[in-house]
Amino acid sequence: MALALLLLALSCTRTLLPGDSKYLRMVGDIAFDPKEDDPDFELCNEAKAKQYHNFNQGFQYQGEKQALKKVFAEAYRSKKMPGETGLIRIRFLVNCQGKTGRFRMMGMNENYEPKTFHTSISKQLLQITRNLSGWKLLPNEQSPEDYYQYLIFKLKDGQLIEIMP
Amino acid sequence: MKYLALIISLMGVPLSGWSQNCNAFLYAKDTLQYEACLIAEERNGHYQYSREYQEALDKAIEKCPYFSYAYLHKSVAYLKSGDFITWKTLIDKAVELNTKENLGYRGWCRYQFFRDYRGAIGDIERLDSLITYDIGHSAGGEYHLQVARALCYKALGNPQKSIEIIETQLSTPDYSIGIFDHLHLGVLYLEAEQHQRAIECFQRQSAYNELAENQYYLGLTYQALADKTRHRECMQRAKTLYLAGKIMRDSYTELMDKIYLADIEAAMESPYFHSDN
Repeated sequence: MALALLLLALSCTRTLLPGDSKYLRMVGDIAFDPKEDDPDFELCNEAKAKQYHNFNQGFQYQGEKQALKKVFAEAYRSKKMPGETGLIRIRFLVNCQGKTGRFRMMGMNENYEPKTFHTSISKQLLQITRNLSGWKLLPNEQSPEDYYQYLIFKLKDGQLIEIMP
Repeated sequence: MKYLALIISLMGVPLSGWSQNCNAFLYAKDTLQYEACLIAEERNGHYQYSREYQEALDKAIEKCPYFSYAYLHKSVAYLKSGDFITWKTLIDKAVELNTKENLGYRGWCRYQFFRDYRGAIGDIERLDSLITYDIGHSAGGEYHLQVARALCYKALGNPQKSIEIIETQLSTPDYSIGIFDHLHLGVLYLEAEQHQRAIECFQRQSAYNELAENQYYLGLTYQALADKTRHRECMQRAKTLYLAGKIMRDSYTELMDKIYLADIEAAMESPYFHSDN
């Protein structure tokens, strides 16, 4: 059943694809959605966007991951909310100028099942993530490139307890 | 020699460039998996995130629905992209089809990527109950799965059990020490205020694989013992090592007990560091 749902979900990504493929160019690609995305956010070369781990240097943020954790520790406010437990992933693109866009959110409960968190949590995390400004450029011999990054927030009863990766 | 275990373990994990030996299926007279394995080779040369890579594995599954290897390798890009739901569905299928082969890997990923400590412990302990041979290493080879299990217990607030597991693992005959084992055990001892044991661990880590983290925690241990001279020396060494790139590093995630330059600098700017007495 779960596998059938997965295949169904993957089939929903057909719109961007050439031919009959049910896949995007790469797993995790985020297509521009005029209803959600900033039209002024531009990519240098979307067809060649890389992944965060292509740095091979770990987390690439000004001041290192500690600086990012500090931003969330200071900005995220939540009272105890029983049941608001699990993970939220926010995936997005960092362009060749270090600016971010095309944010997408996904949530799960402790059993890896889809979960929609209370908007006071999800909207807050999304807004703080949108405001982050310390993403480093992906080094390249010719010129900087765009890359995909994600943050996963581990929540326990609405409290933010860990940030990954 | 010290990286032999790492190299061996890397041969058996689902990294992008690793290929299954299809002839093994032929030898076992499983022609359906053999044929699926040959189809899966169509992904060679394609990035594991790519459409072509995923489609080749789909074709392999179409040929042989119980070809666990395809589910396992399809899952990797979803794991790395943080798509926990799709990853879990795929890796669960791989575990269902070949439990002994894939359970340890799933357990490791639960810990490394999603900090699912209970889930990781469950998988690793279940694997341990199913086999009589060594349960093996993490996907990258840096951690024995028993050490990973120990770190999960620490994260769940049971440091004593964590210490016991690592001590047992380190005393296992023919065990090849992991590149962070002594550091993690040292931090556990430090936090348990067993300072002399902590120092011994950090000294072993220095001899085996010196890291900024190691000197930082050694410095904290000396601070706890009110040895200001050694504390300062360690923090200075930690900074030098950090700036030279001798740090705990992982391409995908943050390792437990990792520290940052700001941690070292904060220690070096503290009143304790600068006080005369």
